[in-house]
Amino acid sequence: MTPKKVQRKDKVEPRIGVYVCHCGLNIGGVVDCAQVAEFAAGLPNVVVSKDNLYTCSEPGQELIKADIKEQGLNRVVVASCTPRLHEPTFRAACQKAGLNPYLFEMANIREHCSWVHLHDKEAATAKAKDLVKMAVARSRLLAAQEPMEVPVIRRALVIGGGVAGIQAALDLADSGYQVYLVEKDPSIGGRMAQIDKTFPTMDCSICILAPKMSEAGRHPNIELITLSEIELVEGYIGNFTVTVRKKARYVTDSCTACGDCTKVCPQVAPDEFNAGLSMRRAVYMTFAQAVPSTYQIDMDLCLNKHGIVACDKCFQACQRRCIDYSQKDQRITLEVGTIIVATGVDVYDPTPLTEFGYRKFPNVITSLEFERLINAGGPSGGSLIRPSDRRIPKTVAFLQCIGSRSKRSNIYCSNICCMNTIKDALLIKEHWPETKILVFYIDIRAFGKGFEDLFQRARREGVSFIRGVPGEIIEDPESHDLTLLGENTLLSQLYRYEVDMAILSVGIEPRKDSPLIQRLLNLSCGSDGFFLEAHPKLRPVDTPTGGIFLAGCAEGPKDIKDSVTQAGAAASRANILMSQGKVTVEAITVWVDETLCQGCGMCLKVCPYSAIRQDPETQIAQVTQASCAGCGTCVAECPFSAITQRHFTDQQIYAQIEAITEEAPETKAVAFCCNWCSYAGADFAGVSRFQYPPPVRIIRTMCSGRVSTGFIEYAFRRGAAAVLVSGCHIGDCHYINANHQTEKRVKKVWKKMERLGLDPNRLQLAWISAAEGNLLARKMQEMDGIIEAVTAEEIQKTRELLVPTKKAKGKLEEEDPS
Amino acid sequence: MIKSLWEVFNKEDLLECYQCARCTGSCPAAQVMNSYGPRETLLRCLNLGQEAVVTDERIWYCTTCHVCEDRCPQEINIPELLTAIFNLAAQRGNLPEKIKFTLDLVAKTGRSLIINDKVLKDRQKLSLPPMAALNLDEIEGILKKTGLGEIIDLS
Repeated sequence: MTPKKVQRKDKVEPRIGVYVCHCGLNIGGVVDCAQVAEFAAGLPNVVVSKDNLYTCSEPGQELIKADIKEQGLNRVVVASCTPRLHEPTFRAACQKAGLNPYLFEMANIREHCSWVHLHDKEAATAKAKDLVKMAVARSRLLAAQEPMEVPVIRRALVIGGGVAGIQAALDLADSGYQVYLVEKDPSIGGRMAQIDKTFPTMDCSICILAPKMSEAGRHPNIELITLSEIELVEGYIGNFTVTVRKKARYVTDSCTACGDCTKVCPQVAPDEFNAGLSMRRAVYMTFAQAVPSTYQIDMDLCLNKHGIVACDKCFQACQRRCIDYSQKDQRITLEVGTIIVATGVDVYDPTPLTEFGYRKFPNVITSLEFERLINAGGPSGGSLIRPSDRRIPKTVAFLQCIGSRSKRSNIYCSNICCMNTIKDALLIKEHWPETKILVFYIDIRAFGKGFEDLFQRARREGVSFIRGVPGEIIEDPESHDLTLLGENTLLSQLYRYEVDMAILSVGIEPRKDSPLIQRLLNLSCGSDGFFLEAHPKLRPVDTPTGGIFLAGCAEGPKDIKDSVTQAGAAASRANILMSQGKVTVEAITVWVDETLCQGCGMCLKVCPYSAIRQDPETQIAQVTQASCAGCGTCVAECPFSAITQRHFTDQQIYAQIEAITEEAPETKAVAFCCNWCSYAGADFAGVSRFQYPPPVRIIRTMCSGRVSTGFIEYAFRRGAAAVLVSGCHIGDCHYINANHQTEKRVKKVWKKMERLGLDPNRLQLAWISAAEGNLLARKMQEMDGIIEAVTAEEIQKTRELLVPTKKAKGKLEEEDPS
Repeated sequence: MIKSLWEVFNKEDLLECYQCARCTGSCPAAQVMNSYGPRETLLRCLNLGQEAVVTDERIWYCTTCHVCEDRCPQEINIPELLTAIFNLAAQRGNLPEKIKFTLDLVAKTGRSLIINDKVLKDRQKLSLPPMAALNLDEIEGILKKTGLGEIIDLS
């Protein structure tokens, strides 16, 4: 084995202590723990080997601490549950006894062994021995690591000035941090400013929002940057450099919002704020309560678009001379420690659903258009009027789930539409109690606090709820009245309702430009297009990228209350980082051996975090430690073995493969599982007691992208019957997209095996999430079948043929420790 | 010959249905006939099993116009399910008299309508060319190949 830099430093002979835990009967009831401990005692460098009832208990930990001191242990291996549960416990115990926590290793003989092989005690014990052997082999090569600290800049950036962004900015500003609030539109306020009332309390939306908007506008710690978009984000947790493009407003800050300019402007366009139901001028203010309270010129509409002043009416009308046609876009650079993404949502456009006739029939409108119609500040002054004849409708229908829960639009439930419709129905009843209101629904989801009450109130006030969404809307071309055809599913009866107006309760969907934000900030997206949180339960506002947090609908559809709650949580998470002023990064990052690096730049291309850059002169790769998340995909990619991942070195993984394949490799399979999804999925299979055959041995890597083709080939060369590589589903990778590299590499080995006439089926690739324990168990069944089917000749052929490729010999010789 | 609907239609697709009734709401057959629409057909398949459906004569009101498929938010291929139901029902002999008659007509004359003197006269009046002769052997071959020979009497 070619020893590397790290190992050279550490010449002390390993003295390993092994502790096999019974976990009561959880392990002891299946695995013969005493026998495993006895077996471990015979492994090289093991000086202490014991089995005990509960290793995680206080006495269990004390035993380890005492042995470290008295027996001079410099490695500790605990064979018990998953490291995802108790690794921190035992690491802390080691540290207390003066042993570096990175010299601790765990063998998972509960979730991956005793719980999934309940009825085969012999095989479970044999597997437990293998797992301990793997852990001991790895522990021998472990090196002490020091977690790294990086400083955190005490300023924050909030992207998006809707209610979530405003709340997050206010919370952080009140905590004493400088906050930049960047908003794309001319005013902050977002969707909430467009809504008339809020559910379930029927508060006036703008009345409760406007004070928050002006507070954000005048807060000494908040700098509002409106009409601006993020162009570039560089840096890493605690130290981001953000470039913002501040678009020209063509009206200076001296504007007093008197409105004289608007009165004389000759150019008109549909007013976006009123959902296109009214017109605005080229010089305008989005709405009366806008913050900043400054007009702006829509240069696409203005006659002076091409730099020639063809019309100066507004300039002449402005007494304070605030109009400046020559303003240019500006680029601002911000240095911040944390970023909160509160970019909000778009509203679904139901035009493609032709059966409802939206945009064809004037009296079919969306729920957002309804909000503007019923709002006193809206185009009709608060009167619900039919667009066709401006008459107040006598019968109004609401159609639910438009653009939600459908493969034709968005598959998810948009969360807010049921309650919004109920609120809207009550609003109509409040103004025009005689109106007949029909709500066509599939399911009414009134799950929140006070929601059911509001639903029942609507029913009591005479709103009819009819189960079954119309299949078709027909319009009378003369009167523009509408006929809804459908089926009342509870009565199994077809219906035909004549209504004056139909309101499509449209869903919400990710912003059209959210892929841009995703790319700029290195975020991950779910299949629905919303940004993914780091953990759906326990880290719901964190993103996989350190220092970046989510608030509001950018993370998923939610109502105002949830948006505000989440904004507070995001602000609090950012606050934790900034109040500490520094952040500790786990020592699983990578480093480059400059003597081996040839400057090919392969690592740069696969790094999901842009954490590697090349020295402009020498081309040698340099790693920004604070940006490196420790997926290790660059290590697997490097053709010269110049990159090493701390705590997950090639040697350590090769040692595990060797331990598995030392005895009867033809009866076993080597599995590489990523820490976050597949390994966790195997844990979940254990917790669920899904039983599966025992011949697969799992090696944990942080990401499946860490698995190099060398590992796979080495396992086969050592005679393993099969190999499984498993990671998060494509799109759900914990390291953004590192599993794309996994797929690429596995395909590469498949091709090679095919070329050599080997059975590529022996190498399996599976995407298994942390929740898919059943899928993992099924895969293990499948692997068992593959192992059974492999012949001795095939294995022998593989051992001979699957040798390192010639052209990359330099690399693979090094990789191959045998 | 099929024994079960689920040989030709994936039963799991039915689980996608959440009974929004847009299919029935847009079903022209349901609008004019006393039939249950596609929604109820799906639900019956799922909850009561295929037998409850294939033995019911009302399934034959479907004209396979495919509007339900177009409107289904879950993109369930409802016409495919209905076609499978027709086939299974026909195998079991659950074939309405009218349809049986038409099939017999096709088998015997090669046409789905009765061609009498009036029809021929009308064609003449409209200056349409005389009707071409049909190769009945070929039609019989097709009917046999499609399995229809086992459902109706081809002799």
